[in-house]
Amino acid sequence: MANAQQPGAPQPAPTGPTANAKKYAWPEKPVVLSTRVKRLDGPDKVSGRAKYSFDINRPGMIFGKIVRSPHPHARVTAVDLSEARRAPGVKAALVWKEPGTEAASEVRYQGEPVAAVAAETEEQAIDAARLVKVTYDVLPHVASEAQSMASDAPLVFQGGNTRKGATQEMGDLEEGFKQAAHIVEQTYSTHVITHVCMESHGCVCEWEGDKLTAWVSTQGVHASRQQLADGLKIPQANIRVITQYMGGGFGSKTNVGAEGLICARLAQQATAPVKLFLDRKEEHLDTGNRPSAFAKIRAGVSADGKLTAFDGQSWGTGGAGAVSGFPLPYIYQFPNRRRVHTDVFVNAGQQRPMRAPGHPQGCFLTEILMDELADRVRMDPVEFRIKNLPEASPNAAWGDYFRQGAKAFGWDKRHPTGDPTPGPIKNGFGVSAHQWGGGGRAGRAHCEITSDGGVVMRTGTQDIGTGTRTIVAMLTAETLGLPVSAVKPEIGDTMYPVCGASGGSTTAASISPAIRIAAGKALDQLFEKVAPQLGVSADVLVADTGRIHVKGNASKGMTWKDACKLIGTEPISTDGEWEAGLSSTGTSGVQFTEVDVDIETGIVKVKRVLTVQDCGLIVDRLTAESQVYGGIIGSLNFALFEDRILDRVTGQMVNPNMESYLLAGMSDIPKIDIMLVDTPVQRSRGVIGIGEPPTVSTASSIANAVRNATGATVRSLPLHPHKILAAIEEQKAGGTK
Amino acid sequence: MAQKNKDPEKPEQIDRSRRNFLKTAGAVSTVPLVAGIAGAAVADAQTGAAIAGPGDVPIQLMVNGKRLNLNIEPRMTLLNALRNKADLTGNKRGCDRGVCGACTMIIDGRTAYSCSTLAIEVQGKQIRTVDGLANGATLHPVQQAFCDRDALMCGFCTPGFVMATVALIEKHPNPTPAQVKAGLDGNICRCGTFTRIMEAATSVKGVARG
Repeated sequence: MANAQQPGAPQPAPTGPTANAKKYAWPEKPVVLSTRVKRLDGPDKVSGRAKYSFDINRPGMIFGKIVRSPHPHARVTAVDLSEARRAPGVKAALVWKEPGTEAASEVRYQGEPVAAVAAETEEQAIDAARLVKVTYDVLPHVASEAQSMASDAPLVFQGGNTRKGATQEMGDLEEGFKQAAHIVEQTYSTHVITHVCMESHGCVCEWEGDKLTAWVSTQGVHASRQQLADGLKIPQANIRVITQYMGGGFGSKTNVGAEGLICARLAQQATAPVKLFLDRKEEHLDTGNRPSAFAKIRAGVSADGKLTAFDGQSWGTGGAGAVSGFPLPYIYQFPNRRRVHTDVFVNAGQQRPMRAPGHPQGCFLTEILMDELADRVRMDPVEFRIKNLPEASPNAAWGDYFRQGAKAFGWDKRHPTGDPTPGPIKNGFGVSAHQWGGGGRAGRAHCEITSDGGVVMRTGTQDIGTGTRTIVAMLTAETLGLPVSAVKPEIGDTMYPVCGASGGSTTAASISPAIRIAAGKALDQLFEKVAPQLGVSADVLVADTGRIHVKGNASKGMTWKDACKLIGTEPISTDGEWEAGLSSTGTSGVQFTEVDVDIETGIVKVKRVLTVQDCGLIVDRLTAESQVYGGIIGSLNFALFEDRILDRVTGQMVNPNMESYLLAGMSDIPKIDIMLVDTPVQRSRGVIGIGEPPTVSTASSIANAVRNATGATVRSLPLHPHKILAAIEEQKAGGTK
Repeated sequence: MAQKNKDPEKPEQIDRSRRNFLKTAGAVSTVPLVAGIAGAAVADAQTGAAIAGPGDVPIQLMVNGKRLNLNIEPRMTLLNALRNKADLTGNKRGCDRGVCGACTMIIDGRTAYSCSTLAIEVQGKQIRTVDGLANGATLHPVQQAFCDRDALMCGFCTPGFVMATVALIEKHPNPTPAQVKAGLDGNICRCGTFTRIMEAATSVKGVARG
């Protein structure tokens, strides 16, 4: 795949690099970084040897099961555990939702935890959970945004069913609409989806006296420790959280959740280790989701294709009492704009961050509008977008990416809206742009070099599937001039130095500076030991290709092994933490999509996706590309398949499984071309992170491609066949204004 | 009554219709619960046919070429029996209803969702799980291809994809993309590794027809 070029000078960083960041600046010609290194734990994962938290089996371990509310809104008036306690194999039972008349006794969504049991086998635990008798006072509920906002809606949330946010305003809206030659006024929306991590949420908890060890499926071992300590009211020092391998989180596993605390309490009561992992239905109901997004937008464009005004009222639901914010308008410059957002509450599980929270929604609502506006002024969508971008900078380089991507994609072959060829299969192209912050924040690492030449890099981060273990070794190896295989990376344990949760595409950019500095300091100490042996001063030494030698004179030196023999009995032991200057924030990318739409069935087939994506200094090119593939496929799911459907009458989720909650399979995957931007400008920005940006805009470019193919605009996701057919019918009947 | 199968040596005679399944379930429920918990196989009072459970019963499985003796409830799935009773945790539980494929094992040469297969039903059959695929430190060519192409991310679906690919390759040693799609459409990856799984599956060399 071709590298994209990116001209333009870097913007000054908001804070200058620290002394350490200058001293341990990234190498100009990296040996390991930016190459393709296979993930180190691949062999363990493909062979089943990797022990995920779900795989931990402890001696004497029993199984927990949570009893959940079948009602979307009710008050728990009584919980009777007596029959459950007498059931075969039961070792513990507890009430989670204390019955009563207070607000605390209310369940506000189907699947909210009420009680729990633990028994010797999983099957016995499921049986016993059925024997827990819960008495409910069923209360009125709302199952959709419209129901919740209706004037006659029952008041189901204290403080109201909705919460209006502050108005964001800029420029002069009235003047902006005066300048407009065309105005589009439409309502756009996206739906609720759930994370569907392949490994469900849960943990294994084992007590030894007052000390707890928890193997949690989490995106944050240290965050989990804190939440367990707070919830159990015990010191953090008494808790060890371990996550050697975890099966996907996508933002939903930064919290141990009720299931974590329940598991710990069951284990305490049973005086036995307890495994509690949720089933698929519980996953859909109670482990987070991506909020819906709606916006009624009025937008103006001048005759020459400049955006003039944007007036948007937006709303969405993050479930029972949770926020639903998203950026709007997205990326493109409306000089005069107003936007007000309202959070709408419904009786459904609360949202949690989901891969690029808010951005896929804001991107879709804006990008579909952009194509509608482009058509009004009869401009090519790419040209129209370029004309309305913010000023170019290293973290806002869409203009160049649009041009490069369009060329590589063959955008010039795009026909105007509506495939003119006869026959039921219509072909179309779509385009979209996205941004994400990413970047570093606090993270720590510890480096140890022993006299046998061994190198261990410890950092209390975790690998959520991005390949963190591998980049820990790569970053260390680069700094020490060693092969990747010479470094032992240790992660996923609160015994290691504190790191933040893996969220917001911050992991690589947080740990990379810490590792670079820790390894750099360790190498400095080794140089001090080697220098007298060589009769030189330490500052002339360098480490590369497994040797330590005088810079520019490879023969005056010694092997890494020999150098380490000088260390003696006390290992070199150094710490590093994130410092400004080795990482940056802000990425940009664009995507192009080609689809075939069968206008008789409404079925969309995505044929190919091309993306131009930057991420600063690429750490592992192989796994970085995998992130991009994954992001695009995730967004294809968002566009075409997945949809959390709540029954509008009962408030029950009708598809809490994987057979009717649809996800792409092998046959649904398009050809994907990745143009990863690797330029001196991007490299100079340091590490940024790439987990989230690629998943933002694919859905939008698919939707625009469907519009280009059919000539009909579907203004709400997902692009299910019936909606496409309805839009085509509406178009035939004269369309919408 | 329920058990119409006259020759227990010929399990293919079992009528698997839903109606008959319900009748069978009804017959089981007539057995006193106490006896069920205490004993293993219990004779149906009316037909004399052997009914297993509902308590633990001894079963013998052939897993990765080794005999495995387990005491399990007859309702236990093959996946749970191996994961919870034999610490064979390579294959994973994703959906627990035969959709996601993380639990895919190979039973007598055919892929099966082990989450939807009763352990007691597959006695006498050759069961292969991901745990037994590698030869010591030497990975199976399919496993190696997955590593080489980075055909995994979080890796939780990977054991199922690996087993489905092994079964595919043993049938079609050089599969076309269409054959890969057909062979692996019963598995779901949430991280989105499909592109590279396709690369891996079409690059595997040196697997004999099974």
